[in-house]
Amino acid sequence: MHLLELKNISKTFPGVKALKGVSFTLNSGEVHALCGENGAGKSTLMNILAGNLQPDVGGEIVLEGQIQAIQDFNQARNLGISIVYQERSLSDNLSIAENIYANCQPQNRWGFLDYAQLYADSKGVLTRVGLGELAPQTLVEDLSAAQKQLVEIGKALAQNPKILILDEPTASITERETQHLFGLIKDLKKTGVGIIYISHRLAEIFAIADRITVLKDGAYQATLPAQEADSPKLIKLMVGRDLGELVKNQKSTSNEVALEVKGLSGLKFQNIHFKLQRGEILALAGLVGAGRSEVARAIFGMDRYESGEIWVNGQQKRFSHPADAVAAGLAYVPEERKSQGIFPDHSVAENILAAQFAGANWGGGEGEAHRQKLAQQQFDDLHIVAPSLRQVVRLLSGGNQQKTVLGRWLSKKPQVLIVDEPTHGVDVGAKFEIYQLLQKLAAQGTAILLISSELPEVLALADRIVVLCAGQISGELNAAEATEEGILRLAAGMN
Amino acid sequence: MKQLLQDRVATLGILILLIGIGASLAFPQQFPTFDNLQQIVLNVSIETIVAIGMMILMIAGTFDLSVGSVLALSGSLAAWMLVQGYPMPIAVVVALLSALAVGWFNGFFIARIGINALIQTLATMGIVRGLVLLVAGSGIQDLPYSFIYIGQSKMLKVQSPIWWMLALLLVFHLLLKRSIFFRRYYYIGGNERAADLSGIRVGNMKLYGFVLSALLAGVAGILLTSRLGAAISSMGKGTELRVITAVILGGASLSGGQGRILGAFLGSLFMGLIANIMVLARVSGAWQDIILGLILVAAIGFDVVLRNRAGR
Repeated sequence: MHLLELKNISKTFPGVKALKGVSFTLNSGEVHALCGENGAGKSTLMNILAGNLQPDVGGEIVLEGQIQAIQDFNQARNLGISIVYQERSLSDNLSIAENIYANCQPQNRWGFLDYAQLYADSKGVLTRVGLGELAPQTLVEDLSAAQKQLVEIGKALAQNPKILILDEPTASITERETQHLFGLIKDLKKTGVGIIYISHRLAEIFAIADRITVLKDGAYQATLPAQEADSPKLIKLMVGRDLGELVKNQKSTSNEVALEVKGLSGLKFQNIHFKLQRGEILALAGLVGAGRSEVARAIFGMDRYESGEIWVNGQQKRFSHPADAVAAGLAYVPEERKSQGIFPDHSVAENILAAQFAGANWGGGEGEAHRQKLAQQQFDDLHIVAPSLRQVVRLLSGGNQQKTVLGRWLSKKPQVLIVDEPTHGVDVGAKFEIYQLLQKLAAQGTAILLISSELPEVLALADRIVVLCAGQISGELNAAEATEEGILRLAAGMN
Repeated sequence: MKQLLQDRVATLGILILLIGIGASLAFPQQFPTFDNLQQIVLNVSIETIVAIGMMILMIAGTFDLSVGSVLALSGSLAAWMLVQGYPMPIAVVVALLSALAVGWFNGFFIARIGINALIQTLATMGIVRGLVLLVAGSGIQDLPYSFIYIGQSKMLKVQSPIWWMLALLLVFHLLLKRSIFFRRYYYIGGNERAADLSGIRVGNMKLYGFVLSALLAGVAGILLTSRLGAAISSMGKGTELRVITAVILGGASLSGGQGRILGAFLGSLFMGLIANIMVLARVSGAWQDIILGLILVAAIGFDVVLRNRAGR
């Protein structure tokens, strides 16, 4: 008997059929990975299981042999289903303990909160997820992104679930923490917990999953045992076509230095120096929190830096605001797409055109017709999938949102393009398109500074790799000699 | 149809038209006369000028509670200077400069230092109201004709505040639609951090926004004082809340990023229309506030429901 069986689940939203008769099984003590591009229906399926959405009539959820109609989140929890969302559900202003036991705090016999019990229980949970050194009273806002993610997992574990759903659990955590998480998952398997694991990172799926189910456009594609699956096979199932290997371009590095950073020091980084040539892709690698984004933000004029020099095309610059950096030919695609990249309620066209309003321009510019043409051109060039340029960006998939942000800068024809985690939360198809785009830009002479935590991405794209560790450069590698292991060793500060 | 329902300028315009037709049928003698209609517009004209500035701030995702005090300061200062014997143009310019200074004071602390706009403009509202009491005392009367003329003259049978309002509406409508400078406010309201990273100087733009809003409140103060023929220290009390109500009715949202100048006008006009009909129907003033409050909740509730449906 399966621990969980989903039979013929469909879900219709006004205008969209998000799920089309999907079936899925989960055994106890199993890790079952769920793959598919953004919009394939993974999150919808999991939201149905967690009680947040109701399936269309005709679908069945069978839990340990009994048909269940899960009406809401609390019922799902009582049935032993816990979900760790991709988007955080923690309150920054409360302590770790209060977050973990939100809505189910232990009570003493007077019906008041039993803090001693709460903190003791929380300590146990923190130790399980590898955060044993943190006090349960710590406020969540003081945690790093990775620690928050682990607390989020702890919150799910505190319910003692029979079924644990992990939706992109490693999106913001480092390699070492990922290894700890995998250890935790293996322990949970031994106790008979069934785990549904959703991730874009295929390498992780192969490392942890027992079976893999692929969804595409809301429809079930296939379920494979992990041993029989490999990346090309999965990608083909997910996107329905072969993508082929990414071929490195012939480099036309011209020895002209587009961007040079000398001894840059700020709050979270010290003595950073590198040269970026025209037509080159230079990667800044390192663990989350190593200070890579901070360096990029300082270069772009967003944050202040204490000392050091920035040279663009042979001229020393000091940018007091991104507007100055834009005027000097720089562009920056931020890591946090939702909060810093897009204008969610504005149209695709308006999002693409945002950078046309940079700087000190007061007048009418080159006119509305000219702007519309610019937007249309990027829309076509980047194959942004949307009903029209007037579509609100919030409703697009992550990949198309990212292409919109890229289009904003490409319309300015930047000389130096800084991309921070350009494929974070982007589906496989769009990911390859973004890779090809970056390579094309480099071939045309754009200097690209790539910040990425995905090592295969760094290795596939970069010509040179500068590795940061705790705010300092711990090494530089040529693409030819670099390996994932080599980068990791530098990133962890081991020489 | 759905798009039409989501465009506040369209829905509000139609609503105003329907209410106007209804009122014409109910009060055929009093309502649809040139004098009454002009009176409605005249009554809202001065606050509509304030609403233009508020609309721009709300598009940028912020607002200014001190506009009523600034209105009173500008009017009182002009009146005080006139009584002291300064020529009219100098009195007006100094009054407008005082408004500009208050706007800069707000903008500086909000955009540069980082004080929350609610707190900053609330404080300014009190500070400036105190200054008004110092300047105007129990009121300043006997203003010269050259000043009274500004707000009491007529052109083509239409009172001058209406012309001032129409001119400013037109200018800012075009600026917000066409100019790079003002279009930036939509981006700032849409996502402040993304706007900064797109090279828009958000801090500067906000500062200019507060200066502009105060300046428009200053213009309104001169017009009001001129119309009244006197400066009264309680001028502009409650203006900020009426103006914010009008602007929200006209399609602005508290989170920013949307709104049009035409909406600011229609929002004001709608409120003036309701007030006028209440008077014709001999409804007490208390009911006006109750009904206006209910209309505000209904309008925004309608919006939220519609958006939630569209978002799925």
